[in-house]
Amino acid sequence: MIFPAPTQDWNALSDDEFRQTAQAFFEDNVPRHLRFLNRRPAWVEVKDLYHALSSSGWLCPGWPVEYGGMGLSPSKYLIYVEELELCGTPRVMDQGVMNLGPVLIARGTQAQREKYLPKIFSAEHLWCQGYSEPGAGSDLAGLRTEAVIDGDEFVINGHKIWTSMAMEANHLFALVRTDKTVKKQAGISFVMIDMNQPGVTVRPIRNIAGHEELCEVFLDNVRTPVENLVGQLNDGWQVAKALLGFERVWSGSPRQSMLALLRLEKVARLNGRINDPVFQDKLTQITFDVQDGASAYERIAQIMRTGGSFGSEVSVLKIWATETCQRVTELLLEASGDAGMMLGDVGFGEEQVNVLHPFMDCRAFTIYGGSNQIQRNILVKTVLNLPT
Amino acid sequence: MNTNTATGHEANATHDARAEQIEMLRNSAIDFVAGSTDHKRLREQREKLPGHDTRLYSAMANLGWFRILVPEEYGGLGLGLAEMSVVLQELGKGLLAEPILATVVLAGQTLRYGSNEALKNELLPKLVDGSLKACLAWQEDAGGLDLMPVKTVATSAGGRVTLTGRKRYVGGAGDADGYLVTARNSADTGAGVFWVAANAKGLSVTHEWRADGTPSGIVTLDAVEVASGHVLDEPSATALQGLARAVNESCVMAGAETLGVIEATLNMTLEYMRNRVQFGKAIGTFQALQHRAADLYIQQELVRAVLGDAVQTLDSNANAEDCSKIASRCKSRSSEAGLRITREAIQLHGAIGFTDEYDLGLYVKRALVLSAWLGNSTAHRRRFALLNAAVWQNGSEANSQHPSALA
Repeated sequence: MIFPAPTQDWNALSDDEFRQTAQAFFEDNVPRHLRFLNRRPAWVEVKDLYHALSSSGWLCPGWPVEYGGMGLSPSKYLIYVEELELCGTPRVMDQGVMNLGPVLIARGTQAQREKYLPKIFSAEHLWCQGYSEPGAGSDLAGLRTEAVIDGDEFVINGHKIWTSMAMEANHLFALVRTDKTVKKQAGISFVMIDMNQPGVTVRPIRNIAGHEELCEVFLDNVRTPVENLVGQLNDGWQVAKALLGFERVWSGSPRQSMLALLRLEKVARLNGRINDPVFQDKLTQITFDVQDGASAYERIAQIMRTGGSFGSEVSVLKIWATETCQRVTELLLEASGDAGMMLGDVGFGEEQVNVLHPFMDCRAFTIYGGSNQIQRNILVKTVLNLPT
Repeated sequence: MNTNTATGHEANATHDARAEQIEMLRNSAIDFVAGSTDHKRLREQREKLPGHDTRLYSAMANLGWFRILVPEEYGGLGLGLAEMSVVLQELGKGLLAEPILATVVLAGQTLRYGSNEALKNELLPKLVDGSLKACLAWQEDAGGLDLMPVKTVATSAGGRVTLTGRKRYVGGAGDADGYLVTARNSADTGAGVFWVAANAKGLSVTHEWRADGTPSGIVTLDAVEVASGHVLDEPSATALQGLARAVNESCVMAGAETLGVIEATLNMTLEYMRNRVQFGKAIGTFQALQHRAADLYIQQELVRAVLGDAVQTLDSNANAEDCSKIASRCKSRSSEAGLRITREAIQLHGAIGFTDEYDLGLYVKRALVLSAWLGNSTAHRRRFALLNAAVWQNGSEANSQHPSALA
C-alpha cells in the first residue's frame, strides 16, 4: 500500500458527530504548551504532533481518500478547520499538506504522487514554497529565477525570498522562469527541488516581531531532474493558481481577530478601562467589526457546506478579517496605555499579558497571500466590473 | 407540517420551499419597483403631506405585503422578517418604502405583540388590508432607544384614562388614522401602550421635515381620552416588552431598506465610473477611485451579512437580550455604511453628485433618515455596551474555555 488507508469513512458521520470527534481528537493530541502560540514553532517542537496527526489519519483533511487524505466534504473540512483553530493548534510544517500535495494530486503524474506523497505523511520531506523574489512580490509573474534544461536536468539560478520555515525544510517547490521570450505569465514552470545539495543557501530573516520564520533562499547552479517538473513546461502559473480556494477562505477566518479581541477585553478588565464609556464605544465598534466579519465568513461557509461555488467575493473576507485584526491589536496597545510600549509579557497587577506581539504579528496578514491592495484589484476587476 | 416526524430531508424541503417563497416575493417586489419608481414624483412630494403616494401604499397592501408579519388569526400570512426584509430591501432600491417601516413594521408589530386581543382583532385586519394607517408615538424630545416615556402620562380617574404629553419623531404621521401612544401611569410604577384615533379630542399633530422631505410627526396630547377597550397594554413594569420587540425588528428592517438604498447607490456610482471620461479615460480605471469603490463594496457586504444573521436570530425567537444585541449590531452597521457609501458616492461622482437634479441626492437623503431614525450608529453601540457590560466584566465564555489564548 503506497498511500495510507483511511482510518474511517468520515463523511458517513453527521456534521455534529464529526465535530465532536474532531474536538476530542485535537483536545487529546495537541499538547497544552503548544496551544495558541505567539509564533511558528520549530520543527523539533511539533514533530511529535505531526506524526500523531499522520499516524491517526488526520494530517490531510482535504486530500482524497485514495491518496491517504480524509476526503472531507466541504462542510466537514470547515468543521476540521474550526475545531483545529478553537484548540489553538500550532502550524506544523504544512506546505506539503496544504500546497504541494493538492498540486500533485491535481496536476502531477502518478509517478510523482507515488514518490512524493508518502514522504509527506512520513515527514521525510519537509517542504517550503519558493514563489516571491526580491523583484517579484505583488507582481509575482515578474519572477526571474531561471531554470535551464541541461540533458535530463534543470539547472536553476536565482533568489527566492519570504520563504516561510525554509531553514527547517529539505525540499522546495518553486516557480521558475523557463521562457523569457513570451508574456511573463506564459514562461513560468513549477518544479520540485531537493535542497540537500551544493548551491542552496538559506538565510533566515528576523521579522519585526523578533522571530525567524521567513528566509531568503539562494539557488546557485542547483540541479533537479526534469521529471520533477509538475504540469507542463511553461504552465506553472496555471498550476500555482489552481491552489487557491480553501487557503483564501482560510485567510478570511475571523478566528485571529476573535483571539486578539479576547486579549483586548482581558487587558481592559485588568486596568479598569472596561468601565470607561469612551473605551467601551471603541470596544463595541471593534466587536461589531469582528462579529460582522464572522457573519460574512459564515455566509461563505454556508455556501461551501451546501456544495455551492464562490468566486472573488472571498477577497472581501481576507481584506476585512486581516484589517480588522490589525485594528483590534491597535486598540489593544491604546488600551494598554503606558504599558503598550513594553516588550514581552507585561504586568497588569498580578497578571502578565504580551500586548505588543499581536500588533507586530498581524502586520504580515495584510501583505501575504496576495496583499490587500491586490485583493482590492481582484474585487475591482471581477466583482465591480470596473474598466482597466 | 407535522414536526414530530420531520426528518432532515423534510426540514431541508421546508427550507427550500421557504427560500423559493422568498424569491417569489423578491421578484414581485422587483417588478413593483420597476413599474413604480418615479424620482420626479418623489421630488414633488417633498415637504408636502402626507409625504408619500397613497395609491402606491394601497397597491402594496393589495400585493399582500402588509400581511407578511401578521399571524394568520389576525388576517396575516404568519411569515417572518426573512420575507419582510426582501420586500423592504427591493423597495429601498426604488426609494418606495416610505412609510411602511413606521406603519406596518413599527406600529404593526407593537400592536401584534400587544396583550389586548379584542383590540388586535379590531385593528390588525384593517392594518393588513391597508385601510387603517397606524403609527407609533413612543419617543419624546430626547429621542433615543430608552423605551420608557419621560413626560407623557396616563391618568386614571373614575374608570377613564386620559393621556397628556408630547411625542416626537413619529414616522408615517402624514396621514395617520390613529396612534399607539406610550405613557407612564401617574403612580409611576410602569408604562403602557394606548390606542387613540387621530381625530381624538385634545390630540394635535404638527410635522418636522426630514432630510428626504418626508414628515416626522410631533403629537401633542392634551388630556386625550382613551376610548373604552383601547388600552393595548395596561401600564406595568413589563408592559413595554412587546414594544421592545417591535423596535428591535424595526431596527433590523431599517437595515434591510438601507441595504437596498446602498445597492442602488453603489450600482449608480459604479456605472458612472465606467462611463465618465476624464484625462481621456473612464474614471473607473483610476486605482485611487477603484480601491475606494472596493471598500464601499465591502461595507455593503457586511450590511448584507449582519442583516442575514439578525433576521435569522429574531425570526428564531431567541431571547430578548440576544435579539437586542444583534439588532443593535445590525442597525449600527447599516446606519454607518448607509451614510458612508452615499456620502462617498457624491465624491466619486464629482460635482454632478452635488446637484438636486441628479438622483443620487435622493438616496443620500434617504440614508440620512434611515441612519438617524431608530437610533444612529453611536446610539446602538451605547445600547450594546450597556447590554454587554456583564460579559466584559466577567470575561466571555470563550475566555474561560481557552485561557491559554490570553497569556
